Amino acid sequence: MADIQHKAFIFDATRCIDCRACMVACSVENKIDMDKTRIWVSGIGMKGQFPNLTRASMVYHCMHCNEPDCLSACPVGAYSKRIDGPVLYNPTKCIGCRYCMNACPFGVPHFDFDKGLLQGAFIDKCTMCPQRIDIGLQPACVATCPTNALVFGERADLVAEAHARIQAHPDRYVNHVYGEFENGGTSYLILSHVPFTELGLPPLTERPVKEVSEEVMGFTIPFALSWAAVLSGTAMAVHWFNKRKEAIAAEKEAKAKQLEEADK
Amino acid sequence: MKMQIAINKRLHIGLLPLILLVLMGIAFVIAMVRYIYGIGAISNLSNSYPWAFWISFDLFTGVAISSGGFLMAATVYIFELKQFKPLLRPSILTAFLGYIMVVIALLVDLGHPERIWYMLIHMNGTSVLLEIGLCVMTYLTVLAIEFAPVLFEGLKWQKFANLIHRFIMPFVILGVVLSTLHQSSLGSLLIIQPAKLFPLWWTPILPVLFFVSAISIGLSMIIFESTLSARYFKLGLETHLLEKLARAYPFVLGLYLVIKFTQLTLAHSLGLLFTSGLMSVLFWTEILVGALIPLVLFSIRKFRQSARGQFYGAIMVLLGMILNRFDVSWFGVKHPDPLTYIPTFMANNVHYFPSLPEVLVSVGIFSGGILAFGLAVKYLPVFETEQHHDRAS
Repeated sequence: MADIQHKAFIFDATRCIDCRACMVACSVENKIDMDKTRIWVSGIGMKGQFPNLTRASMVYHCMHCNEPDCLSACPVGAYSKRIDGPVLYNPTKCIGCRYCMNACPFGVPHFDFDKGLLQGAFIDKCTMCPQRIDIGLQPACVATCPTNALVFGERADLVAEAHARIQAHPDRYVNHVYGEFENGGTSYLILSHVPFTELGLPPLTERPVKEVSEEVMGFTIPFALSWAAVLSGTAMAVHWFNKRKEAIAAEKEAKAKQLEEADK
Repeated sequence: MKMQIAINKRLHIGLLPLILLVLMGIAFVIAMVRYIYGIGAISNLSNSYPWAFWISFDLFTGVAISSGGFLMAATVYIFELKQFKPLLRPSILTAFLGYIMVVIALLVDLGHPERIWYMLIHMNGTSVLLEIGLCVMTYLTVLAIEFAPVLFEGLKWQKFANLIHRFIMPFVILGVVLSTLHQSSLGSLLIIQPAKLFPLWWTPILPVLFFVSAISIGLSMIIFESTLSARYFKLGLETHLLEKLARAYPFVLGLYLVIKFTQLTLAHSLGLLFTSGLMSVLFWTEILVGALIPLVLFSIRKFRQSARGQFYGAIMVLLGMILNRFDVSWFGVKHPDPLTYIPTFMANNVHYFPSLPEVLVSVGIFSGGILAFGLAVKYLPVFETEQHHDRAS
């Protein structure tokens, strides 16, 4: 992974105490209604048999993929990926088709289903607080996290840090950094003591989900041109063939007439 | 809409047109509520189900049932099979109205319908949806050109009709290319969901399957609407001609089945055919009703030759293949698991079922299409060649 100044998060589920201060901090910083938060904390509740109980919670927001699927899917290019990590959404271009919501394997972008034309219904999602990171601050959720469950920094450093944490306490973690390679790598690296699917994270391959789709799209123009050529060729060939058939029929008729006249 | 009411009043509005008008009115009111209070006010769409009934019915089904237009244009103009000419105009009309319905439905479904033209100025080349949008816009124009001669003949502007007729070939070829592209790309639209779409349906060759099944849907729509029009407008039914058309079924459906099952075999998904509960049931329903049984039935000559056989066979294919569109774009799609703690914006309708107003919008738009078809047949020479034929015989 070549990472030049590529920012990322670590989320460590073993440190999260489900206090949801990150949700509040995010809504305050970005002036989002609390019922439309860009972060949501999912808890899996108590699992197992007493006395072997586990509990985990997961801070869920945009994964800021290295290869964003929303960006690939958006017909009008309302998404962009900044070189230093954030995946951003531009509401002035959005037509509200909601294809990004289908494309995102994490179900991150969400839509204003309660707003009419005049209020303007848009997509919303985490921005990685560019207004803060541009002046050297941490994103609001990270700055407020009381247990350092969220850490922010250079992606390359954080990948190393994540592996170091697992190595230091192999008994405490699932031996995997979710997001290091998932979906082509994300800027949200997750450490957990419970299986990642229990945190609500989809099992994904290293190939970003958009890859096959983009490969298929690549065929469009060559296919269109060759198909047009084939159809034109067919049309001309059929036309020529039919004309020729008619001509031969006409010739035959003429000959028959001549013969008839000659007989007379 | 006002104009149609006026026309109908003079002509003693019938019961069917009246019902259609009422349904259109209801849809119009619901659409207004949606524009004022938002999509959530009238539908059960939510962040868990951003696309569902509208996309499956209005877009996927709407485009698929309009495929008769390019099929007949190709048959008559490119392959010069002139005997099918009586079926050309009704098919073009169906396609034209079908696409107008798709666009109207999208204007309700889009968050920003007033920005639909942004697709022309902000293009993202990797987006399948952009390709579909551009193809639909262009093809709608092509269909307008292909249908224009009928309108001009109706207005007795024979010169214009002849003029268009002379230059029709490039438009026919463009129309077939555009149709091939976006009929198949509707399948490509779901390729970006390998983690969400059930493996019985997800495959990189979805576009090929969509194109082949669109042909079978197009054939069925031609038979379906010819039969209904013949009944409603008391025209002569061209059973003989439809039989010739129906001969294509075994080949098209057979090709579809071969591709589908080869793909499942290569993807090692055959095990899922009987082990996935509801998904297996849906899959077998669409395969049996939409392909396998009609394939057998249409291979029997007696069945093909009877008007009833054609009609019910076509309906079977339509139902099965439309179920396929619903499976691929809705039933088979699973968004990330509902999380245990869900903020209010996520909590509305984790389990989706379309709301009544949501369905009524689609019903209203569809009614408009049927009404427009009826009016066009009544006032324009859509079935004219057929009538001449009848009088002659």
